[in-house]
Amino acid sequence: MNPSSANTPQPPTGPRYWRSLDELAETPAFRQWVEREFPEGATEWRDPVTRRHFVKIMSASFLLAGLGMTGCRRPEENIYPFSKMPEDYVHGVPQFFATAMPSRGGAQSLLVKSLDGRPIKIEGNPQHPFGMSGTDRFAQASILNLYDPDRAIRFVRQGNKATREAAMGFLAATAKDLAASGGEGVCFLMEQSSSPSRARLQELISSRYPKVRWFTYEPVDLSVVRQAATEAHQTAGLSLFCRLDRAKVIVSLDSDFISGEEDGARLMRDFARGRRIEKPTDNLSRLYVVESLMTLTGANADHRLRLASSQICALTARLAAEVLTQAAASEAGELVAALQSVNLPADVKPEWVKECAKDLLANRGACVVLAGHRQPLAVHLLAQAINRALGNEGRTVELFSVAEPKTGTIQELSMALNAGEVKTLVICGGNPVYNAPADLNWTATQRKAKTVVRLGYYEDETTAVCDWHFPAAHYLESWGDARTSDGTMVSVQPLIAPLFGGLTELEFLARLAGLEPFNPYEIVRETLRQRAGGVDFEECWKRFLHDGFLAGSTGRHVDAPFNWAKVAEHVRVLDTALKPSKDKLEVVFHRDYSLDDGRFNNNGWLQELPDPITKVTWENVILLSAKTARELGVYFENPERGRLHVPRAKIELDGRQIEGPVWIQPGQADYTVGLALGYGRQKTGRVGQQSGFNAYRLRASKSPHFAGGATLKAAGQQQLVAVTQDHWAMEGRPIVREANLESFREHPDFAHKMGLDAHEPHVGALYPHPHAQNPAMKGVHQWGMVVDQNACVGCAACVIACQSENNIPIVGKDQVARGREMHWMRLDRYFSVAPEDKELAAPQVVNQPMLCQHCENAPCENVCPVNATVHDEEGLNLMVYNRCVGTRYCSNNCPYKVRRFNYFDFNRRPLDQLYRGPLAPGGMPDLVQMVKNPDVTVRMRGVMEKCTFCVQRIEQAKIARKIKARDSGDVRVPDGTITPACAQACPAEALVFGDVSDPNSRVSRIKEQSRNYSVLGFLNVKPRTTYLARIRNPNPAMPDYAQQPLSLAEYSREHGDPMTEGHAPGAGKGGR
Amino acid sequence: MSDLFPRWYNQLPLKIALGLLVSAVVVSAGVWYYLTPKYSRVGYQPIQPVPYSHATHVGQLGLDCRYCHTGVESSWYANIPSPSVCMNCHSQVLPNDPHLAPIRDSVKTGAPVPWVQIHRTSDFVYFNHAVHVNRGVSCVSCHGQINKMVEVRHEQSLTMAFCLDCHRNPAPNIRPLDQVYNMTWTNDPARQLEAGVRCVRDWKIRSSHNCSACHR
Repeated sequence: MNPSSANTPQPPTGPRYWRSLDELAETPAFRQWVEREFPEGATEWRDPVTRRHFVKIMSASFLLAGLGMTGCRRPEENIYPFSKMPEDYVHGVPQFFATAMPSRGGAQSLLVKSLDGRPIKIEGNPQHPFGMSGTDRFAQASILNLYDPDRAIRFVRQGNKATREAAMGFLAATAKDLAASGGEGVCFLMEQSSSPSRARLQELISSRYPKVRWFTYEPVDLSVVRQAATEAHQTAGLSLFCRLDRAKVIVSLDSDFISGEEDGARLMRDFARGRRIEKPTDNLSRLYVVESLMTLTGANADHRLRLASSQICALTARLAAEVLTQAAASEAGELVAALQSVNLPADVKPEWVKECAKDLLANRGACVVLAGHRQPLAVHLLAQAINRALGNEGRTVELFSVAEPKTGTIQELSMALNAGEVKTLVICGGNPVYNAPADLNWTATQRKAKTVVRLGYYEDETTAVCDWHFPAAHYLESWGDARTSDGTMVSVQPLIAPLFGGLTELEFLARLAGLEPFNPYEIVRETLRQRAGGVDFEECWKRFLHDGFLAGSTGRHVDAPFNWAKVAEHVRVLDTALKPSKDKLEVVFHRDYSLDDGRFNNNGWLQELPDPITKVTWENVILLSAKTARELGVYFENPERGRLHVPRAKIELDGRQIEGPVWIQPGQADYTVGLALGYGRQKTGRVGQQSGFNAYRLRASKSPHFAGGATLKAAGQQQLVAVTQDHWAMEGRPIVREANLESFREHPDFAHKMGLDAHEPHVGALYPHPHAQNPAMKGVHQWGMVVDQNACVGCAACVIACQSENNIPIVGKDQVARGREMHWMRLDRYFSVAPEDKELAAPQVVNQPMLCQHCENAPCENVCPVNATVHDEEGLNLMVYNRCVGTRYCSNNCPYKVRRFNYFDFNRRPLDQLYRGPLAPGGMPDLVQMVKNPDVTVRMRGVMEKCTFCVQRIEQAKIARKIKARDSGDVRVPDGTITPACAQACPAEALVFGDVSDPNSRVSRIKEQSRNYSVLGFLNVKPRTTYLARIRNPNPAMPDYAQQPLSLAEYSREHGDPMTEGHAPGAGKGGR
Repeated sequence: MSDLFPRWYNQLPLKIALGLLVSAVVVSAGVWYYLTPKYSRVGYQPIQPVPYSHATHVGQLGLDCRYCHTGVESSWYANIPSPSVCMNCHSQVLPNDPHLAPIRDSVKTGAPVPWVQIHRTSDFVYFNHAVHVNRGVSCVSCHGQINKMVEVRHEQSLTMAFCLDCHRNPAPNIRPLDQVYNMTWTNDPARQLEAGVRCVRDWKIRSSHNCSACHR
């Protein structure tokens, strides 16, 4: 068993036996097999420890254990108190700090929980003018990046580790050169940023060294909106701020404002507020969506039109023509004339556009038209022209003036590099070697600079072709500042010192340019000092850090004149491209719901997060409509159950080729190919390696968002895709209940007339509940939750928040494909289509957050042989890990399928070592364990787990209340004190938790609504989690109007219409 | 053939069974007794780097628990004081005592004093000091008469049974809040029970017996 003998061939001495040829060969594969769980313990006998030695040691230790009884005493552990106690610090009490997560052109204001000096959970900052406790999923998951063992942790010089001193020395030398040359030949390639401090530094450097050149590159550039605002209003530096909560009609032109665009979390919140409905008489906003791919925004649409991205500009022009002829001022005459020459795409019904325009015109000042970042400038200008003409500016759309330093593009930088003008190239963040446009041939181009210096969070593809790599600090380790989309200046303050000595961008720039002070803290203070003016600065600074934002810095609407001529100019040269066809497909590159543009590639939580629409994990897929797939010969059927193998296909565009698995997406425009960016990395961390294909390889400068003329053919192979929900339909069952607004107004209680609910009181339990009396639910509080399906947009921030709060491990693609994902909370996504719609062209989508329902009559509890899942007196269905022996009966008996079993030591082992035996070393890097929430038990292999309603938060709140109460007896926790992680993170405020025994609590009042129903209520399990039926608000005048939502129509066909009077459930063909 | 198995072989199964039974009983009894926290923990009294005497400081000088264990009222954790707390007095009193060398070193160098942990609950138990001391459970109930201990020893078993005994019947251990940190306070048992029951009722003490109370 000595490995050296395996490597050096030895002549056989005496007889040898082997169990397989592999063993004889001693291949690594066999070794690995030996290390797997069975045969057990084999792992101990490898490496230099011989068997004899092993037995010797083991017997000695058993002897010691027996004689000294050391086994009975636990090992001696030390307590190390602080040698100097920090002021105001109490060990074990969490601290919260306001900070912000910068993103492209904006930021999210956050409140981060820190326990014992370690940030562990991210929440929204409710004090910020947005007043949001929710965040998007990226902010929730960003904490995992902080503890990523694969992040850049060293200074690298030409591939070799360099000392910090050497690196700083290099920066100082560069600063000297810069001073000597005045910046000749020095180019900076930056990411977009909203940081006022960075802008200030940039200006400072430019003014001191005027020859320095600045370039910006964002692979997914969302700034076209700002460009359009600036051009349309003849005012430099304008940004657009939409207030969807004030809009009654929203029209999205390829704009996935629900998490596909800038500022997704706030837009979701505002949109959800407009969709909130309490009484049947309440009003609801209406959402029209025109898009090529099926996005979350399309999933929430009342009217959705699928149209190839290249055709949307023509439709926009028609829509603008309809609106402007009736609403525009006289200056717009030229524009209206120009618009008349544009024809509507052939397969769009003119009534669709006409009625949509009519609806807009009927809601002047209370509607908004949004254009997506994939659309060209002309579409944005037209959208803003419509908003202007309808008087939305200043109401639903506000314009803020934002000064930004002027920079060049990556194409200009590429030209400069090719011309040999660049001596030193400084790359701050980004990863251009991976994501630069394919036509730039960036790897070679970048090398044309004499020296390439980079500040990056990972040692990635770009690092390999840099002379120097500096590790970047995470935003939770950084001093900085940023601006949120409303212009409010927010602070970025560190929660922890840089774990690996990383530099912030501010420090890096300051050092590089030799601008004292280098300390980013001082840099940010200086920026604020200039901004705050004469007030008491120290006080202002303290407030800035404490609140997380600078009060009074919120932008104000600028009433700028509108340049109609400019818009007309753009309309005249509108590119009405040819319609895509079978041989000339249109490729659409989209920002990935999980990885963004690839920056979260090595984040396991996001990699494993099912895409909200496709439910595919761990990779990207080639999205095609059913019709297109059929015509191209790559159509496949979902198997009824089991692992899903899909065909692979090759796409060629302008001579560039990529290959990937095909996915059939209902509702996608025909002859459109959707490709998510951010996957297929060559060099990334352990998590992101080998996930998906790289769509950037197809992407060229001239068409970064969609490109025509692609061909696709089957590659002839099949591939396993790990998908968490392979069945798409509800099959007419009333799981998600929905109705149109008008019918809801007529029948407010329709949700109670579906399924067996009307019979429910008469059915009763089949068997008396064995624990009905034990314990009786007599607690002071009775916890319950309600999910508003009208508000839920399906963004999945809750899933990541739950993962972060409750120490939920990731399991890897292979295990997901086996149905072993561990998410306590999932989002069920159902498509429903009309029976005649065989091509799945116009599906309606519903999302349903599904988590443990905390049934009062919990079926899991009756079947547990060891009482490992029991009720507490406050109505929580508890999971007692120490009792669980892993029979999984509970999971089998759970009608909602929300229980999760630890098939492996997911928390102790990296994904590639799951199959190692219990005696093999754990192997999980310590750094990853730092992200764990110490208030929640980390579960081991062989136990069941599930949503606890965040019992740790409940208990902590109760304890806090009791500490406050002391001897007063006032122990009832006030309503609103406890928010589970999912509800807190929800940007749409769709989840409400509270005490259902208190009739005045928010949750009780919401449960009073007529839309309230229980999923599978007929089982009489009495779930504590209930749902509010979804109400759609379609426009009866529209050509695609249907009297009932499609899922309700399907239900009605099977079981009879719940809206008809006297309807008794089951009056149709009977239940299933 | 009869020689092959002698006659005493007939009783062999019975003897084996009996032997196994006896040894099983002995082993179970041994494990029962020796491996339970009552045996293995109670009385645990490790040697500390500094022979700090609670008897002197609390018993004789009357220091309040919270002078050093500052976090006990607000956190789940009753912290061990930092050496600077010791030096508040010991910069004047016994400033050169050799026993206090580790404390002085710690203040000077910043290296913490490696106190040996005595009371410890398992990782899956979320015990909270603050809620107990704020609701009338004295330190004495779990830690014993600290004021009489020259060196701290593990006084109670602190097993789940120990916790549950009190959670099921908290009345005997509930004191007036101003006596929680009084190590010497006693009440006669009958009156205590009556007072305890009154407290439990008036303060709405519902010490949970549900798993969620301590396991999350």
